[in-house]
Amino acid sequence: MTGKLTSFLRNLPASGRIGLTLVVFWLAIALAGPSLAPYSVGAFVDQDVFSGASSRFWLGSDYLGRDVLSRVLWGSRYTVFLALGAAILAVCIGTSFALLAAIRGGWTDEVISRAMDTFISIPSKIFALVLVAAFGSSLPLLLLIATLTYVPGNFRIARALAMNLVALDFVQVARARGEGPVHIALREVLPNMIHPLLADTGLRFVFVVLLLSGLSFLGLGVQPPHADLGSLVRENISGITEGALAIIVPALAIATLTVGANLLIDALKPGGKA
Amino acid sequence: MSAPEKPQSSLAKLVPLIGKRVLSSLLTLFLVSLVIFTVSGLLPGDAAQELLGQSATPEQVASLRHEMGLDRPAHVRYVDWLGGIVRGNAGMSYVANMPVGQIISNRLPNSLTLAGITAVISTVIALTIGISSAINRGGKLDSMLNITTLSLVAMPEFLIATLGVLVFSVKLLWLPSIALVTPDASWGQMLRSMALPVFSLTCVVVAQMARMTRAAVADQLDRPYVEMAKLKGVPFSRIVLFHVMPNAVGPVVNAMALSLSYLMGGAIIVETIFNFPGLASLMVNAVTSRDMPLLQSCAMIFCATYLALMLVADIVAILANPRLRA
Amino acid sequence: MLIGNNLSRRSVIGAGLAGAGILALGGCGSNEHKAAPKKGGSIRVATQAASTADTLDPAKGSLSTDYVRHFMLYNGLTCIEDESLIPRPSLAKTIESADRITWHFELQRGVRFHDGSELTSEDVVYSLLRHKDPAVASKMATIASQFAEIRADGRYGVVLRLTGANADLPTIMAQPHFLIVRAGQSSPDGTGTGPFRLAKFQAGVRTEVIRNEEYWIPGRPHLERVELIAIPDEVSRVNALLSGDIQLCNAINPRSTRRVEVDPAYAVMATPSALFTDLVMRQDQLPTGNADFVQAVKLMIDRPLIKRALFRNYATIANDQPIAPFQPYFNPDVPQTVLDLDKARWHVQRAGLSGVRLPVFASTAAEGSVDMASILQEYGSKVGLNFAVNRVPADGYWSTHWMRHPMSFGNCNPRPTADLIFSLFFDSKADWNESGWKNERFDRLLIEARGEADEARRGELYGEMQRIVHDKCGVAIPVFISLIDGYDRRLKGLRPVPLGAFMGYRFAEYVWWED
Repeated sequence: MTGKLTSFLRNLPASGRIGLTLVVFWLAIALAGPSLAPYSVGAFVDQDVFSGASSRFWLGSDYLGRDVLSRVLWGSRYTVFLALGAAILAVCIGTSFALLAAIRGGWTDEVISRAMDTFISIPSKIFALVLVAAFGSSLPLLLLIATLTYVPGNFRIARALAMNLVALDFVQVARARGEGPVHIALREVLPNMIHPLLADTGLRFVFVVLLLSGLSFLGLGVQPPHADLGSLVRENISGITEGALAIIVPALAIATLTVGANLLIDALKPGGKA
Repeated sequence: MSAPEKPQSSLAKLVPLIGKRVLSSLLTLFLVSLVIFTVSGLLPGDAAQELLGQSATPEQVASLRHEMGLDRPAHVRYVDWLGGIVRGNAGMSYVANMPVGQIISNRLPNSLTLAGITAVISTVIALTIGISSAINRGGKLDSMLNITTLSLVAMPEFLIATLGVLVFSVKLLWLPSIALVTPDASWGQMLRSMALPVFSLTCVVVAQMARMTRAAVADQLDRPYVEMAKLKGVPFSRIVLFHVMPNAVGPVVNAMALSLSYLMGGAIIVETIFNFPGLASLMVNAVTSRDMPLLQSCAMIFCATYLALMLVADIVAILANPRLRA
Repeated sequence: MLIGNNLSRRSVIGAGLAGAGILALGGCGSNEHKAAPKKGGSIRVATQAASTADTLDPAKGSLSTDYVRHFMLYNGLTCIEDESLIPRPSLAKTIESADRITWHFELQRGVRFHDGSELTSEDVVYSLLRHKDPAVASKMATIASQFAEIRADGRYGVVLRLTGANADLPTIMAQPHFLIVRAGQSSPDGTGTGPFRLAKFQAGVRTEVIRNEEYWIPGRPHLERVELIAIPDEVSRVNALLSGDIQLCNAINPRSTRRVEVDPAYAVMATPSALFTDLVMRQDQLPTGNADFVQAVKLMIDRPLIKRALFRNYATIANDQPIAPFQPYFNPDVPQTVLDLDKARWHVQRAGLSGVRLPVFASTAAEGSVDMASILQEYGSKVGLNFAVNRVPADGYWSTHWMRHPMSFGNCNPRPTADLIFSLFFDSKADWNESGWKNERFDRLLIEARGEADEARRGELYGEMQRIVHDKCGVAIPVFISLIDGYDRRLKGLRPVPLGAFMGYRFAEYVWWED
């Protein structure tokens, strides 16, 4: 296992290594960050607002005089885990439907495809607005919205991949052998599309991070006093002309997280190294 | 990408494709209307309540509800609306006291112009970036362009827009900070007030398109026929434009169509920041005022746009690609 | 009781203020400025909200954009134009009432609507009666239910009989909803008697008006053209001001004032107002109905922190009752509640509520409530209360969340009289009795004060009502929020009127432009 890991690292191009480092860094922050936070996330600790870096507040204070470092540490947990969860869920659901559509074909394919078109053509942020107005904002709902938004995209890609595979000889042979559709889907088709799917998961992860920041602009983020990274940028936007750390730090966090994930995906893609 | 002299066979192939697509589009449109109706039924309150606002008394709400016909059961209202739309009548807005068609015709040109200009600009940029980095795969230019596109996607849309305003409107006073789209504005004025919204949206969509283009072109460049053409002495620019591009056009056009449809309905943040009177903010407005006929019509437009763009993308891919054509 | 040129009750009753007769007969035309205003100029103004529900019908107005638009196009029987909040005559030349039940209005002669027709009593009767018609869906239907009878008395006279005595009627008639429209227009189209004529109107997008050359008050307005738009996003609004795209806007976030003020070409105008965002604790539900709980919450509100951090000191510390220190009838003898966590903890323990978990509903619909809720949560954890902030969208907040949970936030715009604010929000039978409290003594005092002719006595009654609300009501009011407008310094003649932003929404009639 370790040998495999080192050889994997050795084969990774420089950009991939940078990406991997960034992703691992943010995963670690998301896991351990909150316990490292010097202050509680909602504590009003600074008399001043938008203050700069100091020994008491390493990354300054936000628009209400709260500690930016603590809030970013917490915020990255929400952003990373929500995005990761939604990306994985979206890919699992999208791919399952894609396999079903590709293997069954005919009416099943038509109905699933049209249903996916339905969801993809409703603007996702407006859809989110409606759902939050109807059910109130909560973590499960945010996860659901982000998942639903990216299921159809993954479905399109996965269906195209699966369609190509289903037409190939070895699947026809398996069919002739009398294998059931579940066997064909999981044993014959899925293993041959796992690489592009992994890359797609990474891409969806990046999209969800950005979607979440878009939702936070519309006031649909995590419940206060907590905030995801996008909400942190949004709530401190009035400090932008002063160049407040409260806005720069979460913006940088989003940037490094998404760029890191992108670099890693590119490096993993076959041909990405070329 | 137009193909003036297409052989009969490709056209003959296209007609049933278009026919089938139009039929399945109708199914999708129906599904969308059903989803919108159901989901919006979950919303708390109704148009009467939202219109009367904080100060509503129960009697007022009841009388207004009756006047609007909101006291009828949901399925009756839905069938009523569906009947209207089939006959080409989108109904009256609950809130604005105007036909929905009229409200939308005020806004639709704005959204189309914004999406259109953005599409043209971002397509040009994306193709340029995508092709040049594909040609220089692994080179300095490639990684530089890669980093540029990556950092563009890495910034939240609202931050890009806000920074754009701070620099170009507040600091330099070059461009208006809000889109003042009036029907009687000159073209110059309109372009000026659209500059920043177009800039922000371009940043959002260009990266994805450029990366798709690069991938598709790079994939083709690795094929043997390119090597063959090179050996035959065909100029490289000619190879890229006339041999590689037609083959790579499928995924590229697909990515563009997706981005375009995003530009119509997904521009809500840019519309908010620049106060742009487009369709996305109209739809949000319809949600908050529970204006069902308006909401439904907006959803129909977005869905139809998406489906039409997808169809066009497929047709272009077929027409451009000799192998699919044959 | 005859009110002539000066409509103030106090001017008749309180001898010291009886400066009637100084005012010119021109109606709403008392305060002319020293520097002669220049004619001409065209400005663009942005408010913070617009929607497809934007209307030309004064009765339906609900957003600041509507009020500004309506005051440009129409006139009221009276108007309020300075910080004294004393109603002045406008379309009504005189208003008389002997018993404060039956009121007689004498209209200005020769006032013309934009279409050339003359204003008569018929128009006034029509405009006022509309509010009682449920189909009109007037925002003032509750107030209009006090109108027992409205009839014309000749071509220029109108008689309005109320169901009970109300000394504040002249003030009520100055409300934007009671502006006068043309008789017979079931949905008014902007044809009013106001200082501007409608040029273009597109709901949710823009309103454009041009000067009414035949305005019945000579010398007004000064501006040639006003364009009214809405920019809901605060950052965009400030940016638009600073980049010269608009010349006036309202609802500037206190955090943005520094940005505006560093530029010498722009300035902010802070209007101290009685606007407040309040924490509602339902008295008919538990645990919020517990008197100790209410007391504990009032004691754990860090008012100076809210004033400083949330509003950058553009606020006045409040004392859990709705009358602000700068308003008439304010009672300075009610002791100010201050942060006292020990006492709060004691109350929590006495109520047996330590460790209880309670959701607090907040929304951007109620200004500042989300941050207030965060502050409450932080301090709650120090006294053993576990508040969970539940931020819900502004969309649908008033109909689904406000007053529907044990704890939610409300938001109350400045009202011109003590009677209005008390009867709309604190009367136990009021629709918006936010906390659902019942206090018989308060209700009795309210009726008594409404019809009381003696000013000193009225002051005493309102003073006691403030004390009762402060001690017993399930509503916590941390601060009164100042309204902040931003403007281009070339715009002259702006002054604060504590009823609302934009000089009580009426700037267009008074301001002028100097290049």
